[in-house]
Amino acid sequence: MDAVADAVADAVAARTLLLTGNEAVAWGARLARPQVCPVYPITPQTPVLEKLTEFQAQGVLDAEIITPESEHSVMSACIPASLAGARVFTATASQGLLLMHELLHYASGARVPIVMANVNRTVASPWAFWPDHTDSLAQRDTGWVQLYVESAQEALDSVLQAFRVAEQALLPVLVSLDAFYVSHAMEPVDVPSQTEVDAYLPPFAPPRRLDTASASSWGNVVSQDMFYRHRVALQEAMDGVPALLAQADGEWQRRFGRGWGVVERYRCEDADAVVVTMGSMCGTARVAVDALREAGEAVGLVKLRLFRPLPAAALRAALAGIRDVVVLDRNHSPGAGGILHQELRAALYGAPEAPRVHGLLAGVGGVNVPPQRIAAFARECRGTTPRPESVWVR
Amino acid sequence: MTPLDVQREAMLCSGHAACPGCIDALTARHVLATMGPDTMAVIPPSCMAVIAGPQPMSSLRIPVYQPTLESSAAAASGLRRALNATGRRDTQVLVLAGDGGTYDIGFQCLSSAAERNEDMLYVCLDNEGYMNTGAQKSSSTPHYARTGSTPAGKTSRKKNLVEIMAAHGVPYVATASASHLPDLVRKVEKAKAIRGMRFMSVLIPCLDGWGLPDDAGLKAARYAVECGAFPLVEVEDGTRWTLNVDTRTRPVAEYLSLQARYRGLADDEVAALQAEVDAAWDQLLARSRARGGAGAGEPR
Amino acid sequence: MNQMIPPPVPTTWTTATTEAVHTGSWRAALPRYVQAPSPCHLACPVNGDIATWIRLARERDFRGAWEALTRHNPFPAIAGRVCHHPCESACNRSGYDEALSICRLERFVGDHAIAQRWSFAAPPVERDASVAVVGGGPAGLSAAYQLRRLGYRVTLHEARDALGGLMRHGIPSYRLARDVLDAEIARVVALGVDVHLSARLDTPAAWAALRSAHDAVFVATGAQRQKRLPGLDYAQPWVVDGAAWLAAANAGAPPALGRRVVVIGGGSAALDVARSARRRGHAVTVLALETRAQMPAQREEVEEALEEGVALADGAMLVAAREGPGGLRLACVRVTFLPGGPGAPFVVNRVDGSDFELHADAVVTSIGQDPDLAALDAALPADGALLAVDAVQATGADGVWAGGDVASLARFVTDAIGQGKRAAQAIDRALRSRRGDAAARRDWAPGPAAATPRDAPVELASIATHWYPRQVRAHAPRLAAAARLAGGDEVQLPLDVAQALDEASRCFSCGTCIACDTCVVVCPDLAVRRTGDGYAVLGDYCKGCGLCVAECPTGSMDMVEEVR
Repeated sequence: MDAVADAVADAVAARTLLLTGNEAVAWGARLARPQVCPVYPITPQTPVLEKLTEFQAQGVLDAEIITPESEHSVMSACIPASLAGARVFTATASQGLLLMHELLHYASGARVPIVMANVNRTVASPWAFWPDHTDSLAQRDTGWVQLYVESAQEALDSVLQAFRVAEQALLPVLVSLDAFYVSHAMEPVDVPSQTEVDAYLPPFAPPRRLDTASASSWGNVVSQDMFYRHRVALQEAMDGVPALLAQADGEWQRRFGRGWGVVERYRCEDADAVVVTMGSMCGTARVAVDALREAGEAVGLVKLRLFRPLPAAALRAALAGIRDVVVLDRNHSPGAGGILHQELRAALYGAPEAPRVHGLLAGVGGVNVPPQRIAAFARECRGTTPRPESVWVR
Repeated sequence: MTPLDVQREAMLCSGHAACPGCIDALTARHVLATMGPDTMAVIPPSCMAVIAGPQPMSSLRIPVYQPTLESSAAAASGLRRALNATGRRDTQVLVLAGDGGTYDIGFQCLSSAAERNEDMLYVCLDNEGYMNTGAQKSSSTPHYARTGSTPAGKTSRKKNLVEIMAAHGVPYVATASASHLPDLVRKVEKAKAIRGMRFMSVLIPCLDGWGLPDDAGLKAARYAVECGAFPLVEVEDGTRWTLNVDTRTRPVAEYLSLQARYRGLADDEVAALQAEVDAAWDQLLARSRARGGAGAGEPR
Repeated sequence: MNQMIPPPVPTTWTTATTEAVHTGSWRAALPRYVQAPSPCHLACPVNGDIATWIRLARERDFRGAWEALTRHNPFPAIAGRVCHHPCESACNRSGYDEALSICRLERFVGDHAIAQRWSFAAPPVERDASVAVVGGGPAGLSAAYQLRRLGYRVTLHEARDALGGLMRHGIPSYRLARDVLDAEIARVVALGVDVHLSARLDTPAAWAALRSAHDAVFVATGAQRQKRLPGLDYAQPWVVDGAAWLAAANAGAPPALGRRVVVIGGGSAALDVARSARRRGHAVTVLALETRAQMPAQREEVEEALEEGVALADGAMLVAAREGPGGLRLACVRVTFLPGGPGAPFVVNRVDGSDFELHADAVVTSIGQDPDLAALDAALPADGALLAVDAVQATGADGVWAGGDVASLARFVTDAIGQGKRAAQAIDRALRSRRGDAAARRDWAPGPAAATPRDAPVELASIATHWYPRQVRAHAPRLAAAARLAGGDEVQLPLDVAQALDEASRCFSCGTCIACDTCVVVCPDLAVRRTGDGYAVLGDYCKGCGLCVAECPTGSMDMVEEVR
């Protein structure tokens, strides 16, 4: 690091700022010192783009910002930039993420540690702009690590943790935050200093990169055997992610005094029922759980922060001994129901004394799910035999 | 004749998978040799991608990144910026894409990269169709040409990509042909010395797709230039046009008669093609003369 | 068992080049780098390395060009003026735009050598064997020259008092300047030829002495005996022998003729007589059996003669001549002339009712000459009017070779030079007891070591003509007719350097690689490589597409089918 960069880092001291989720994402990205940021505007992600370009204009973000004609080109640019050895960050939402779909597969196949923020938004049609996880959950088979955050603070912290995990696993990471509830809600956010972050996140130094000094090429046609082995390696990399995330989060906690875990158990002591959900609904569920506990009801919350790879072992451990699990799905897979519902049932299948899993399609399309409704769902489900399919509730 | 004076430091390796007599490989050979070792190539799915592989081998002595078919210019932009960000500004980024990946599916991101004036040399190896998939039409396929998807002949004209790229106002747009090798090499050298978006379209007669004998690729390319069907031009900053070979020495019919894809063309269709070529030629000549540049530049 | 398990192939990132793949197995035919004869080389009477010397001239290596020329012919300045240049008729370029002006280029190089006073290098070895050459004309001088270059002792016997033979006493100075003739002959003599002038051999004893004194003899005594027209009284003072008159004229003292002269004959000699007579003020008519197009004289000669005011009565013959009060009355008739073939004489048919009359003061006949075989060694077998020789000019008599007009009806200076050369090569083989065939067709300068020699000549179809801009041949300037008649200077004017270089650049170099690297740079598989001064095709990689063959500007690549 040169003298100028040192000066910049020292100038950016730790502080607490009032930030939206989008701004917190941009701050996290800035502190990660990305070298290339291709980005395309889309509601409700646009403030991330604007903040990044503003940082660059101020001279506090030394990144190559590319503003192409589409999200498709954004991700097309991200992949070789990362293969060439640059740290790459971008952000998108909804339709933009879907437009990238082909390249999402391409990125994981390329084993590039791109970090992308996704502001979860309904997928058209019809057109809408409300929080809904269907956009990112529809990418569950693309080989991206997926994190879902609950707050602006967690968004900032997760972007930095994501880079650490991505670059260790050589996998791309998607950090999802709910439209408006997180992306546009302002809260005080502790922003660490550049020096502290630099100590946490070393510069990107991949084992191989596109370089004229080595003249090794990437992207050739392979045989069946090579493709098979490539997928085996990809799975092995995915399998290592929960441990890497736990380690990254633990290290974060040691340095900054807060952590987010892989799977968080909230007031689950002696609980006979727990709510399982992701993203901003976790915050609402905390209020509901607090109220239930206040009323003497043994109900807890399990927050799933890491959706891909699904931390099945951690989930089984977190839910061991629980009688009823209430899954709140803010997403919809037509013909199947709630995606987390399916995933959780699969994860618990065959576990000894597995809990009963109640799947509720709550909050699809961004409809409001207040704490009282969550408390009601828990009460209604507790002690009942769950229906095999996801149930529409509101 | 004067001995050819072209850069011969080979950056393409023998043993590649191109068909015998392939002008794609020959063109790539000279483009790569002229660009030199401090270059990275972006090669989307195309004949050139087949030539570049297969894993774990490469026929190029420089690193290659193979993007998806539709994303060459975007990928090259990302690569370019990464090189800039990691202290490798002098390394050249070279796209070697086919016409399908350029005129059709890759056109959107190419236009965007041109608008941003991204620093790359984008070479379209234009064989006027989807030849790697067995010869289907692209928007570069000329009028009346028979392909797998236009068995009765294409009913519309070839897209004028040179004009479109020039309209972006990029610093350099040119056409070239391996049949006029010194001209091709000179243009690559010229492009290499410029920063920003440089676009070249090189005509690649496809032996299989056009129906040519193995040793006739260069002849077809030469005829295309000589009859004016593929004029050799340069456009600087989108405004200064130069017609490099400003005389036509054979009718279009002679060019067509070399190729099976025009077999059975009716006389009025030949005449119509000739008229199209005449009109385009007159326009080019006028533009070239407007800047006093007709015939400037050395064709060989 | 300690078995080695190879590491698996990496699924991404390349680790090797495609050079491990030998695509040569795809092909059915392999290009071959050849050296092949050009049509001009095959047509050339001396089998000159025309493509080679023109290439050197094009590169401004005039010394190299002259050395390549004089490997086959010591007289480029002479041949460049008087050769009938069958090379130009054979030139592949004539099928593209116009034949190369080879003869004028040869003259350019020859004149340059004279101006530079270049001389021949001494032979690398001197040999004891001795060869007698009888006759100092083009055949004898050519043989003497080639034998000296091979190191033989050479004695040259010439009946006249100066060397040159027909080149001196037959060809007028307006076609061949005497300083040029003298310079090129002097250069041959300077190689160490023992010249005996005014040394006529016409007795059996003289021949016997000669043969016993030398290891070999080359007879090139020419054709001295004038053919005579039957029915014409050669005793009359107004009937003049053409060759004798021309020899005297060329020596500066022609016998007087009347004002009006009719020259009978259609060959070069007849035109030489006619044009020489014009230069002495005579009114001249040429009477020839052949039509103008059929005349054996070169087209240019006829053209120039007409420019100079020579009248031509072609396709006609003399029937009778009688003296009258105003001079001679020559009764003539139109004829149709059918040229003969090998072994078949020509046929002449009178055209009925086409009689006409010419008026003259003298008739000069120039209808050909025969050798005087009676003066030769009786042991030499004859073939009609000529000495019998085989393809390498051997007479069948032990140790005796013959060439030039005494043994050939070809009657062109360069044919004689070629026969002298081939005889010298045959004599060399015989004296060194070396086996050899009559491989005169392969008598070209050695090409690049990598090139395979091929006998089949290069055809126009195997030249990639697109490398050559269309360009008409060099305009051949001539002195104005009035100036010719007034001064007697050379009619044909030389090319200047720029014209010569321009003309040389038109040469297709058929079958003679010019090291342009086209084969290297057009190969999509990088399977043609330079090897020293030539090229090699890499069998491991060549896919047999044939681009190197199709694009070669000189026809120096061909395809050979491969059977696997």
